Amino acid sequence: MEKKIRSICISSYPGAIYFLQIAWKKDLGDGFTVALTDGHSAWTGEVSQEDVSQEAKDMEMERSNYVEELRKALIMTALPANKYNFDLLEDRENPEIYHFTYEKTLKEVAFKLGSTKLKSVQNPAHVIKELISYCLGCTAELYSRNEHLQKENERLQCDWNDMHAQLEKFVDGKEELEQTLYTQFTCVLNEKKAKIRNLKEKLSEAQERLKQK
Amino acid sequence: LSNVHQESSMFTEVEFCVMSGTDQHSKADLENIIAKCGGIVVQNPGADTYCVIAGIENVRVKNVICSNKHDVVRAAWLLECFENKTVVPWQPHHMIHMCPSTAEHFACEYDCYGDSYVTDTSEYPLRDVFHRMSKIKEKIPFEMMANLEERYSWNNSSYNIFRHCTVYVDSFATINDPTTRINTSSLNIRALELRFHGAKLVNQLDEGISHVLVSEDLSRLEQIKTMRRAMAKKFKIVSVSWVLDSVKMRVPQMENAYLL
Repeated sequence: MEKKIRSICISSYPGAIYFLQIAWKKDLGDGFTVALTDGHSAWTGEVSQEDVSQEAKDMEMERSNYVEELRKALIMTALPANKYNFDLLEDRENPEIYHFTYEKTLKEVAFKLGSTKLKSVQNPAHVIKELISYCLGCTAELYSRNEHLQKENERLQCDWNDMHAQLEKFVDGKEELEQTLYTQFTCVLNEKKAKIRNLKEKLSEAQERLKQK
Repeated sequence: LSNVHQESSMFTEVEFCVMSGTDQHSKADLENIIAKCGGIVVQNPGADTYCVIAGIENVRVKNVICSNKHDVVRAAWLLECFENKTVVPWQPHHMIHMCPSTAEHFACEYDCYGDSYVTDTSEYPLRDVFHRMSKIKEKIPFEMMANLEERYSWNNSSYNIFRHCTVYVDSFATINDPTTRINTSSLNIRALELRFHGAKLVNQLDEGISHVLVSEDLSRLEQIKTMRRAMAKKFKIVSVSWVLDSVKMRVPQMENAYLL
């Protein structure tokens, strides 16, 4: 069972903040439950798999595309908030029933993504309590995950520093060794060249002497 | 030493003076070896002494060296002779000190580092020669290494592909200020990679550098370009992938594709 809780605004009651909880199993398209609260009252309802299929059909949309739109409208919080509109309207005949509608707004036109009947809950405190405890659970989980990641990060940074220091040592060593070897090579090479120069001089001296004779 | 059984006659009538032993062989041990080979041992070097044998260089040895009258030979030579049952010719690595006449003889045969003028060398003798040169303090400058490599065509080794590069790495938050180094940036690894492959790295963005290496953080790029405008020799500003690709291909890649 997956759950997502987010805060939304309701067009009919501007300014007030409502909390929306969507719960579903595996895939949103297989149906989901809706719980809405303003902190005092609470409303709950359910959207079945058939409802989803029917809505998609009514909108003449590919079912998977429709589910994706639903996901964006109901679950995703990262998208700009003003792209979606929510409303909660009292049923004219039955005061216990409310219609929760969600629509997507596109440049001055809005199209209704879906609506579901929500029923007032007799004991809103129970719904609110569950909602808060779920949020606290999430926070605790995120906290421990964060702690774990932080530790992991520290460890990686430590390793990185170690490796960097080692690598630096190796590079230093390579540079030094290279320079030492080249220096020694040059010294020995220059000694040989000095000898060649010396022999060359001796040769020309000998040739001079031979000429003079 | 008269009761020593003589095993060889290679040192017959040859006079030695042993001044000190080694950790493995005491002075008496060494004298014993000489006697076994028919040699004569004296306690002070004189006119007839062939050479002085020294295991370690103590004050007495130093005095002999100062007087410059006798050759001072390592105990290793004596042991070598004893092992091979033959008189091993002196080689530079045997000698602690040479008196002028010996030095002259050696000078015809060997250079001052002990490498022969006439005999080919190989890995181990050359190692030995180099080992004895480890005292050389003055190292050749970086530029000379590049020239040597060019001259002997060693410049196609993949370990010095950046030899002609003098690189400033953009790893300081404030340009030219090493105290503001940004740690744990992958740029620091690229910098080491550059050095490992022969580049010269500098901490100052000055005239004469050939490259500036920048990472994804381009916040100092404009300032670097401004500084470049004032320079006579223009350096290239390249991304880290230039280093990565060059190392991967084992040849410096053309900078054009990596310029920023």
